[in-house]
Amino acid sequence: MSEFYPVNDYGPLMPGLVMAGVAIVHVFLAQFAVGGGMLLCYFQWLDMTGRNSHARKFVDGYFRVLVLISFILGALTGVGIWFTAIQVSAPTIGEMVLRFHWLWATEWAFFCLEIVAGYSFYRYHRQLSDHARLTLLGLYAFAAWMSLFWINGILAWQLTPGEWLVTQALADGFLNPSFWPSLLFRTVVCLTLAGLVACIVVNSMSDLDRDAQRSLINRAAQLMIPMVLMPFLGAWYLASMPADSRGWVLGGSPAMMLFFMISVGASLAIGGYALIGLVLQRLYINGATASLLLLLAFGATAGGEFVREGSRKPWSIRHVLYSNGIRPEEVAGLRKTGSVADDPFPLTRDALYPNDQLRLGAKVFRRQCAVCHTMHGSNAVAHLTATWDSSQMRMNIAKLQHTKPFMPPFAGTPAELESLVQYVRWSGRNQPLNWPTDTCREVLAQIETWLEEAGTAPANPDGEPERHQHDGEPES
Amino acid sequence: MNSLFPFGLDQTTIFYLVLYVLTLVIHWALMAYVLAGSLWLAWATVFPGSGSVPRGRQPLSLRLRDWMPFMLGGAITAGVAPLLFVQILYRHQFYTANLLLGWRWMLVIPVLILAFYLLYLLKSPLLKQRPQWLNRLASAVAAVCFVFVAFCWTANHLLSLNESHWPVAYVGGPLVAARLTLIARLATWLAGTVPAMCVLAGWQLFKWPPPADQESSVRPADRLALLSCGGIVLAAGSAFWYFQQLPAPVQQHLTGSAGAGWLGLLIAGAGLQLAGWLLQWRQHRLHATGLSLVTAGSFGSLLGIALLREIVRYSQIDLTLSREVLEVAARTGGFGVFLIFAVLNGLLIFYCVRLVTSRDRQPQDSSSHQPPVTDHR
Ligand code: HEC
Ligand code: HEM
Repeated sequence: MSEFYPVNDYGPLMPGLVMAGVAIVHVFLAQFAVGGGMLLCYFQWLDMTGRNSHARKFVDGYFRVLVLISFILGALTGVGIWFTAIQVSAPTIGEMVLRFHWLWATEWAFFCLEIVAGYSFYRYHRQLSDHARLTLLGLYAFAAWMSLFWINGILAWQLTPGEWLVTQALADGFLNPSFWPSLLFRTVVCLTLAGLVACIVVNSMSDLDRDAQRSLINRAAQLMIPMVLMPFLGAWYLASMPADSRGWVLGGSPAMMLFFMISVGASLAIGGYALIGLVLQRLYINGATASLLLLLAFGATAGGEFVREGSRKPWSIRHVLYSNGIRPEEVAGLRKTGSVADDPFPLTRDALYPNDQLRLGAKVFRRQCAVCHTMHGSNAVAHLTATWDSSQMRMNIAKLQHTKPFMPPFAGTPAELESLVQYVRWSGRNQPLNWPTDTCREVLAQIETWLEEAGTAPANPDGEPERHQHDGEPES
Repeated sequence: MNSLFPFGLDQTTIFYLVLYVLTLVIHWALMAYVLAGSLWLAWATVFPGSGSVPRGRQPLSLRLRDWMPFMLGGAITAGVAPLLFVQILYRHQFYTANLLLGWRWMLVIPVLILAFYLLYLLKSPLLKQRPQWLNRLASAVAAVCFVFVAFCWTANHLLSLNESHWPVAYVGGPLVAARLTLIARLATWLAGTVPAMCVLAGWQLFKWPPPADQESSVRPADRLALLSCGGIVLAAGSAFWYFQQLPAPVQQHLTGSAGAGWLGLLIAGAGLQLAGWLLQWRQHRLHATGLSLVTAGSFGSLLGIALLREIVRYSQIDLTLSREVLEVAARTGGFGVFLIFAVLNGLLIFYCVRLVTSRDRQPQDSSSHQPPVTDHR
């Protein structure tokens, strides 16, 4: 199934960055919604058992926030992720939908329950009996958590498809190696976010006195107690990752490691404050501090999502699809037929290019590199190769998967590779009006040899991290 | 296409098509409430009329304003299911159209977020104390947002059908061709959502009639009848205009053995709606018989449109890739899981509705002594 899709140029931003932005906001909101459901059940129960006389008022106030934020922003950023995923890599989302559409449909059935139970509560909570309130909140919380349950399996499959690669069985794909650690980890995150938002909401209930507020806050903080499990769940998750991906996170890739550290650091700060201050010492927390902690939580989520997205490289679905939409089994064929021979889409600014070789190069770049690179903006190839001469560039691109193991193998003909090299050089020199076409036979023969040396397999076929040094590698 | 569509296609395709069409019809019913509802509200607020009760405070407007946020939530949620199936049935076309529209397509999301908050604002007490023009502005902007979203879906759909145009669209912008077709199709949708909105709003006004002090000179039945019939006539006119712009072979499929049955259903549905509204208009009141007729008619019409729409698609696009995808889909597990939870959740949803509709019979606890509030504002 080889399908060509038009590639959009988003200027200096890689599509992946846009994706990450939408994804982070959505994950943050959705996890808040899931945790919020559980928190509300707890407070409804506190009210019904007479454990906290302000709990009821809190439930009604908190639910308004939940509806206004999570129903709207949560639902729509969810659709937004879908749309963004199509923009970033249509083949990836297409494959995910194809393999898991019934589970996605199941998740949808839970969305429906979530919105009906939630809205019923929102609209009628004042007129309902305690029992009915708890039932609706319980159904809401259950449905919200179940939506996490289903989507978690599908997302985890992208990184650790596990046995599915052999059996193609749905259960193997869904209950894959990182399913449980990531589900449990995310559940703890959900509870934490809900607890933090609760602290802010309590602070906004100005008709309660300080003691009443503190009693509610200390109750809400109990939802953050499971944070003590985070180190273990995190370690379990890391252990379930493929070795090469784990390698990136634990130092192999400085950027990835940085995001990982941000995530860990922010979580430690929140956990420390919550457990020591709010749970053990039963302190009060003001709105500003709670907001600050929530901001930290956002940072932790952002870091976590970056790591999750980034550590999959060069795959968008491990062993199934590279990030650029090319399948591993297609590479050998594309080395012969060319990667853009069938590309029906012209270049957007065709007249800009002085010759056809550059046009070809631009198309190759668009097909094979543009998901992860721009020419001059973020992760800019012109900049990364600034110190390389042509020969170095040819070799390093021919051996792309060994140049940096988080890149896929080059999947085109030697002529395509040479045109790509010319295109990069021409771009690096500010696109002069005249540029010679390079047709040297020896160059193509040399490229051919390098391509053969590189092979068509990914750098880490069985997941072992690889350290490869080569000439001209700039320190990154 | 020699027999009634989709009969004659392979089983897998029929299976996914049926699911797609049915869930899409549900999406449309809810979407219509929001789109046509917002248009009415904008009109009613900007042009309050000279009657004793301004249009914006008449029963229809009050109901719409109260229910639109929930209905939008419903429309979006209901849209997710056909969004899933469209990616199985026509993924190459759907994705390509999305990508060609690019950032314009992505605008749908922020626009819907804005519209959603505007709907909440419109029903909140916040706007009541503000000057009238703010209210008008908010209503008008919300309507514009929904029209824009409808425009995007229509543009996306037309682009997905026009495969030979894709390379040109990639370079020259997605909307360079077929402007008239787009306008005709969008006009059909805008007009066609009005009768569909009247069905839901009709039931609401029937079940929860406005209190006596909110009665206005125009009775809800008369108003809805007029709106609905006007919508049907306009939709029929623009649909015909759209039909004329289709290539001849496509027209033949629509009126030939593949489509004639569905065309009949569409027309019969429209007739049933006209009859139902006429009945209620003559008696100046909403009643269950009339509303049932209208409901059946509306469902028939929407179903007819959904299938005719697929016939247009099937006679225009290249299905090679779709067949490959469907073959894999047929071998993909999980339908049982879906079925179990769909039934279970259906029951739970029914239970939720029972819980709140029977709330008067709930044992009263200490905290429920407040007077019953019908409108939670
Ligand atoms: C899966 C994503 C991905 C794809 C696809 C990809 N790259 Fe990369 N590439 C990266 C990342 C990540 C880096 C590391 C950047 C850094 O170190 O700052 C990188 C680094 C590079 C470098 C610098 C290498 C070095 O040793 O410093 C070059 C040159 C490069 N890529 C060229 C390409 C070309 C040409 C293509 C297309 C044929 C391509 N890449 C495809 C992700 C990708
Ligand atoms: C209130 C906002 C919305 C409006 C006004 C709206 C309107 C429409 C219209 C007019 C169509 C028909 C297009 C045509 O045939 O020309 C349509 C189709 C569709 N809508 Fe919506 N829509 C809205 C929100 C959504 C959302 C949020 C989703 C997804 C979750 C969605 C999913 C779909 C799908 C899948 C189709 C079929 C697309 C196709 O077959 O090409 N809609 N919508």
